[in-house]
Amino acid sequence: MEKQYRLLYDENLCIGCQACSVACRVENSVPDDCYRVQVHMQTIGIFPHLGMNYERLSCVMCENPPCVSVCPTHASFQSKDGLVHIDERACITCKYCILACPYHARFVNPIKNVVEKCTFCYETRVSKELNPACVSICPTEALSFGDMHQSNAFVAQKSQKEVLLFPKAHLRTKPKVAFIPNRKGMKS
Amino acid sequence: MSPMWGSVAQYTAIHWSWTIAIYLFLAGLSSGSIIVALLVKWNRHERSNSSIWDAMIKAGSVVAPTAIFLGLLLLVIDLGRPLSFYWLLIRYNVTSVMSLGVLFLLIYTPIVMVFMLLVFERSVIKYPLLAPLESLINLVKSFHSYAKIIEYFLFVTALCIGSYTGFLLSALYAIPLWNSPLLPILFLTSSLSSGVAVNILIGLLFFKSTINTESIKYLLVLDTRVILTELPLLGLFFIGMFYAGGDTPYAAKMALTEGFWAGIFWLGVIGVGLGLPLLTVIIAMRSHIYRVGYIVINSMVVILGVLMLRYYIIYAGQIYLG
Repeated sequence: MEKQYRLLYDENLCIGCQACSVACRVENSVPDDCYRVQVHMQTIGIFPHLGMNYERLSCVMCENPPCVSVCPTHASFQSKDGLVHIDERACITCKYCILACPYHARFVNPIKNVVEKCTFCYETRVSKELNPACVSICPTEALSFGDMHQSNAFVAQKSQKEVLLFPKAHLRTKPKVAFIPNRKGMKS
Repeated sequence: MSPMWGSVAQYTAIHWSWTIAIYLFLAGLSSGSIIVALLVKWNRHERSNSSIWDAMIKAGSVVAPTAIFLGLLLLVIDLGRPLSFYWLLIRYNVTSVMSLGVLFLLIYTPIVMVFMLLVFERSVIKYPLLAPLESLINLVKSFHSYAKIIEYFLFVTALCIGSYTGFLLSALYAIPLWNSPLLPILFLTSSLSSGVAVNILIGLLFFKSTINTESIKYLLVLDTRVILTELPLLGLFFIGMFYAGGDTPYAAKMALTEGFWAGIFWLGVIGVGLGLPLLTVIIAMRSHIYRVGYIVINSMVVILGVLMLRYYIIYAGQIYLG
């Protein structure tokens, strides 16, 4: 049966430890100065009224991926599970997909000279029923991952309970990554 | 947003640089020059001298294949993996404008090459090295009864080449300055403008013996009309962005007011590319003279302006995201 993956990022639980980023680099041998995932931090307000926001920046695995429709060689493609991958053999590195991505999730791997991005660790982990590296390492369970078709899965149950924010939802890309927005501290 | 660890360089990188800007320019120049050559052939083709080909047609037939070849070379060089370009030829994606562009180019490029061979048939026959091409020329000439249909087909293909470069950019909704339905028509009009300029320039420099002053006048009038169309199009382009939602109005504001590229737009694209040629026309009209020197300089100014428009759109689009 086809999967309906979802990755949840709970901004309330994130402590900005960057373990996800390190795990990703180790798992996928990401070259220096390139990032498949980043967590950025923003502190707002004046002491003692402070707020701290975290933002995860990575591929959001669109249901309607603009990077796939613009790719001239089908190197950027969507699997039957709806995940967006890159066929490195057919990638001519024209960088059209990098420009088409509203999330800036793609970059040119300077070593292999092909376009690269987050894959949800599909090859090495998810296809073997393991969680993506960033999810498995997260010490506060700010990240959770699973198949939405399984109603008893943690992600499915948490998605039911929480208010979800889909990044740049107005673009109708239908991301598979959802954020649970920060409720704590100053907002602006 | 301050990265605790990481870098925002990835989010602000210029992925398409001068090679693409020049390619867009060359593709426009090529299609523009062949369109102009065909227009002259259909409207202003009087046999006032020994050659059956007007200098404008000769110029177009040389510029079109040369420009498109140089452009394609730049396009391949710009790929991260130039030697893998053959994937573009064996796999097609109908939703990708780049793929459609490859199809158009595969049709367009051979036709403009054959067109050049036909125009320079006599020169080709002179060289023994080019002898094998003679049979090709004869083969093509055997279809002479379909000449008009082939010319119309070439005209339509050239329109596709001139506008697809605009669609290539306008298909990307991640980039506000590119995601405009006016971009293809804007690129097409400026292509036509550069086509007029380059044909006059090359015609005056290399094919002076077959120059027909009537066709030059016809083209200068045409160019004035094209420029007078391009100016309001540019206006509409930005007005449309200011009325759009999301980040688009901010991107438009920055692109018109901030930094080096705003300067290129106002001084280069508007001032040099459109303003100066209009000024020349006004002065020439007042004094009723068209001096060759003016025409040559005017043509170079127009071409420079068109090139700067491509540079501006490519760079400002990637820099000012709103």
